[in-house]
Amino acid sequence: MSLFFVFSLLAYAEGDPNGGKRLFKQNCASCHRIDKRLIGPAMQGISNKRSKEWLQKWIKNSEKLIKSGDVDAIAIFEEYDKIPMPKYFGLSNNDIDDIMAYVDFKDTVEVESKNAVNTSNIKIKYTVNYHLLFIISVLVIVVISWVVLWFYKAKLPLYINVRFVYFTFIIVLIFISFYAFWQWTIQIDINTGYQPIQPIKFSHKVHSGTQAIDCQYCHSGSRTSKVSGIPSANVCMNCHNTVQEGTDTGKDEIAKIYKAIGYNPETNKYYENYNQKAIKWVRVHNLPDFVNYNHSQHINIGGLECQECHGAVEEMDELYQFSTLTMEWCVDCHRTKNIDVAGNKYYEEIHNNFKLKLEKKEISVEEMGGLECGKCHY
Amino acid sequence: MSVKKYWKAIEDLNEDSVVMNKLRNNEFVEEISTEKFLTDENLKNGSTSRRDFLKYVGFTTAVASLSACDGVVEKAIPYVVKPETITPGIADYYATSIADGHDFASVLVKNREGRPIKIEPNNQAKYFGTTNARIQASILELYDNNRLKFPQQSEFEISWHDADYEIKTALTNKSASGKQIVIVTSSMFSPSTDEVILKFKKKYPTAKHIVYDAVSNSGALNAFEDITGTRALPLYEFDKAKIVVSFGADFLGNWLGGGYEKGYSKGRSLGDEDKADDKAGNKGDAEMLQHYQIESVMSLTGANADFRYAVKPSEQTYALIKLYSLIVGGYDGVGNLKINNTVIDAEVRQMAKKLKSAGDNGLVVTGSNDKNMQILAMQINIALKSKAMNLNKHVHVNKGNDKDIQQLIIAMNSGKVGALLTYNVNMVYSLANSKEFVRGLDKVQLKISMSKFVDETAKLMDFNFPTPHSLESWGDAMPIDGEYALIQPTIKPLYNTRQFQDNLLKWAGVEVDYYSFLKKFWQKNILTKKEGATWNKSLYDGVFSVSTNGNANADYERGLLKINIAYVVKKAVRFWNKTKGTELELYVKLSMGNGVMANNPWLQELPDPITRTSWDNYLTISQKQARELGLKNWNEANGAMNGSLVKLTKGNKTVTVPVFIQPGQAYGSVGLALGYGRKVGVKSEMQTGVNAYKFYKNFAKYSSNIEIEKLEGEHKFACVQLHNTLMDRDIIRETTFDKYKNEDKENWNPTVTVKTEKGKKQVAEVDIWKSSNIEKEAVGHHFNLSIDLTKCTGCASCVVACNAENNVAVVGKEEVRNSRDMHWLRIDRYYSSDMTKDVADENGLSGIGGTAEMYDKMEIASNNPEVVFQPVMCQHCNHAPCETVCPVVATTHGKQGQNQMAYNRCVGTRYCANNCPYKVRRFNWFQYAENDEFDFNLNDDVGRMVLNPDVTVRSRGVMEKCSMCIQITQAGILKAKQEGRKLTDADIQPACASACSYNAIVFGDINQKSSAITKEFNSDRKYYLLEELGTQPNLMYQTKVRNK
Repeated sequence: MSLFFVFSLLAYAEGDPNGGKRLFKQNCASCHRIDKRLIGPAMQGISNKRSKEWLQKWIKNSEKLIKSGDVDAIAIFEEYDKIPMPKYFGLSNNDIDDIMAYVDFKDTVEVESKNAVNTSNIKIKYTVNYHLLFIISVLVIVVISWVVLWFYKAKLPLYINVRFVYFTFIIVLIFISFYAFWQWTIQIDINTGYQPIQPIKFSHKVHSGTQAIDCQYCHSGSRTSKVSGIPSANVCMNCHNTVQEGTDTGKDEIAKIYKAIGYNPETNKYYENYNQKAIKWVRVHNLPDFVNYNHSQHINIGGLECQECHGAVEEMDELYQFSTLTMEWCVDCHRTKNIDVAGNKYYEEIHNNFKLKLEKKEISVEEMGGLECGKCHY
Repeated sequence: MSVKKYWKAIEDLNEDSVVMNKLRNNEFVEEISTEKFLTDENLKNGSTSRRDFLKYVGFTTAVASLSACDGVVEKAIPYVVKPETITPGIADYYATSIADGHDFASVLVKNREGRPIKIEPNNQAKYFGTTNARIQASILELYDNNRLKFPQQSEFEISWHDADYEIKTALTNKSASGKQIVIVTSSMFSPSTDEVILKFKKKYPTAKHIVYDAVSNSGALNAFEDITGTRALPLYEFDKAKIVVSFGADFLGNWLGGGYEKGYSKGRSLGDEDKADDKAGNKGDAEMLQHYQIESVMSLTGANADFRYAVKPSEQTYALIKLYSLIVGGYDGVGNLKINNTVIDAEVRQMAKKLKSAGDNGLVVTGSNDKNMQILAMQINIALKSKAMNLNKHVHVNKGNDKDIQQLIIAMNSGKVGALLTYNVNMVYSLANSKEFVRGLDKVQLKISMSKFVDETAKLMDFNFPTPHSLESWGDAMPIDGEYALIQPTIKPLYNTRQFQDNLLKWAGVEVDYYSFLKKFWQKNILTKKEGATWNKSLYDGVFSVSTNGNANADYERGLLKINIAYVVKKAVRFWNKTKGTELELYVKLSMGNGVMANNPWLQELPDPITRTSWDNYLTISQKQARELGLKNWNEANGAMNGSLVKLTKGNKTVTVPVFIQPGQAYGSVGLALGYGRKVGVKSEMQTGVNAYKFYKNFAKYSSNIEIEKLEGEHKFACVQLHNTLMDRDIIRETTFDKYKNEDKENWNPTVTVKTEKGKKQVAEVDIWKSSNIEKEAVGHHFNLSIDLTKCTGCASCVVACNAENNVAVVGKEEVRNSRDMHWLRIDRYYSSDMTKDVADENGLSGIGGTAEMYDKMEIASNNPEVVFQPVMCQHCNHAPCETVCPVVATTHGKQGQNQMAYNRCVGTRYCANNCPYKVRRFNWFQYAENDEFDFNLNDDVGRMVLNPDVTVRSRGVMEKCSMCIQITQAGILKAKQEGRKLTDADIQPACASACSYNAIVFGDINQKSSAITKEFNSDRKYYLLEELGTQPNLMYQTKVRNK
């Protein structure tokens, strides 16, 4: 036991499992699991099985290692149907150490995520159906007025106090109907829960939940760009060149990707000069053109998790709009959130000024001008 | 690369209608089991009649259309295979060059989602790294829907394969029968293209290459050839001059290929940027280029000169000869002409004295296309040993040879030419003797046009081959000896086009594409000149320079000896011998250039810096002559300007043209801009002005014996500046270099005070506003913009850059007349007049009756006024009058100092525009996008590709104005945050500042001590526009300094 402890400490000393987790999710998770075989082998105990140098060579350029006649390499290649592992020139030796630290560490303890979001706490606000309320109140007004009129015409006795009650009731109803109408129209184009049928029955639950693929593996734009982007078909093909059968949908849905990009699953080859077809996804989250929302800003600088706005996507079979995406919703968050200034040199001087002039330690988004119209509308 | 609109993929309503989608979705969500429904036996016994059925259908349709309030179903279409370099939402920059035969510039092209959307100068380029208005606007030419989209044979589509076959056969026949094959191109200074043409000539020995520049610089080229033996231009470096005397050379505009902006700006710099804290008296070592301009038409260069003399062309010649005789010696008189008596004799003597004492710091230039004039000017420089005229580094941006063209026309008419291939030239339009050319064209059997458009020339050709835009092409250039530039495509060709070079290679039977040819050529011939140079690095940089000794050892004195100056002078004078009557100068406008970009609405709508008139050319005439002829300009009640029409006659050529009375126009001369009057291949709205090339006989810029006859009728101008004078307001501040250097700041840039009951007080002390948060909490950034009136020349490239960056709409001539132009940035041009309030007081013109007279006299600008250009955009006031009056709070102030405009909030009351003292707000009177009434670039799918996806396209009824490029500052701040570093000036340069070739516009954060703007902020010359109003603008101006 103590030996094991020393070993894990050593592993920890060699690499940073937190960094490794991020790298693993971005680069490896689409083909490898820690505990089970996917496209590639399970990662459990890999650092005991292979030497560090071998792993570095293999990860950076497996093809070269195979060609060099390495027995282990050829054996692995044969075992996994000769599917080549992509080359990761971009990963440094330190990165690989980090990944291995994560893989080893995961054996014993689950790495704590700093920003873990408990999505079960986020609930969709239940809203009154103002549309219906408006129609009902108008109907009641019409009916009552009609009845009163009928009484009046028929010259039936009407006690004064009763008439007073009638009119008070109607005035209250008129107010209610105005309010309901206002609330109803204000709700127009708020599409919370919008869940269109997509051209491919793609399940986020399978990909993001079961397979635990990092959101940003496919939506890579969210790290760098204003738009998170919908992955192009070639990103799908990173896995689906071999995963040809879905867990829920069988072969039909995945075949739609092949049709779009021009891939023959039988020969595992792309057609040449294929007339590629676009996949026309239905857009779920749609901000108006005059709103400039930047994903990378909110993820990298704001430190938001995707789920905070998009809900528990990993539990959705078909994606729906989770948040209201109204300005009120944006502004609420900007009012309450503080900016994480630590360690970012950009904020150094600004934060110092801030502490001096306003005698406050925390800066909220609002105080940095996050409520100004021009920050989002230009 | 794909041109897919990933970011905004609204499906056509016709393809997937809203209602249909809605219903379809509901159907699936509900999962109605049709099987069960249809097998239900009760259905047959149901009482639902046909009428009921129709009722239900009607009801559901109504409900469906009601629920359509939810908005359209949008599609999001990703790439099938995403190119590695493209990330939606992120801009890529490519270094390339724009070379359209008239202009040349090394540029960076901003690409979004594979679409080039903006051109910026390539600051790495030592020469030609500046963008003028036309270069900025050339991005729109790429997306011109009028471009030729496929190869044509007599107006019918033909495949490249068939065309190649036919042309190869025909060329072989022509070559075998000994007939000439002539290739006419605009100036191309591309080493690899020269090689391609060589290959072509090898295959067809009778082939000949002729260079044709619509606006010729043959005079200078021939003069230089006579002196040095090389047909090129000397390199003029204005930063090395201390005194410049220009005889009609518009070197800030279109003189000898342009590109002199940076040097001039450097020479004109006061050197005060580094010693901002010094008070007056410590500027003793500052030096400033002194600029004399002798010209007839008021040019941009003349407007910026320290001393400008309005002198008609013939007198310019005499003055230059006079200057020559004073500096080099001899030739006081030629024949019976007494050169002693020029109209500006005293001034020329003064200049000669100054030039002599300046020695090698002097420079004399002339804009004449007469070889003899050019020889005289170059001779003076050689005699002065001028450092500013570098004879050893040759400039190649112009190569046209007038003589070759005239010989070609003769050869064509005599039937010697078997095939004519034109590339990027429009000779039918731009030749003075275009009738002879057209007659000769009939005798040419094979006529091939290679052009972006079916223009006047292409229309008469057998074959029309579309060529790609510079931004879709490969290529290289050597504008100056040892200075190379590369051209790389920034977008996949939009149409079925093929490059000129590819065509020639194909027809020469060289089976290699031009890209491979170019790369190989560079690797073999150019990259070898410098150790370690690689193709990829050069392509990345866009420019590549090798050190050359040039012809340092050449002895030009000896070359000069061969030239018989007496003969040169005689010839120069002979041109004017029979002169009588009015003289005409043909000039080139900054906006339209030589006319190739006539179909570019940005350029059409760009007001001329001098006349402030767009959508036209006109005859500029002096006030005196206009009065003599009874010609008038007048304004209608709504401010729109009208002018008289005249018939302009020279020999047998006449044209009807409106007159524009131009202060500063030399009496006895008139001016007319080239480049207008295009008719073919140009949208009807853009067929503006008259074709002045008619009078460009023998490529002579000047001509005499002009008759002007007044006609009945009037012409409606689209002139945007009505005020000719300052009207006594303290808008412009200027001083002389001497005062600036030696006197206290208060003397030439006094602090603004206002009169109160308690005496004079500073503006800040009598503020009605509470001090804003910006001043109190200098926490984050506080952006300021400074405009240096000394450096600004009014060249207007910032205006076009702003159009491109901010999706500013073009409104057309009629709306400009209605003062509804949408330019966020205008460049006001002020003439300073002899009449001021002080003068009026002296003459007893003040008082109630006198005031009107005084203003009248102020409005009659003097005959040769001084000119100031003042770019004005939103001043981003900290105490903004516009913000307080908006009833819906659509315009608000940001903590960063920007006055923000939320378009989606604006309801269009226009209170803000009324309350703005600077008149910088623009109202969308109409829907300018997707509206057939405004058939410009926003009205077609191709034209809309130029739109910047980061900026909203405004709709009707919305106010808009300069945002200080908030999309750029926001992106810059985000970049700094993500990289975890402080914000730098380079992150946040707005479009106008980065386009400014003269460094006149400086932008930055005044809360950062190291930024360039802080120096401007602390400068002595700083002043604010209408400071007395207490608006506290975030835009500042720097007092104009004249070196006189």
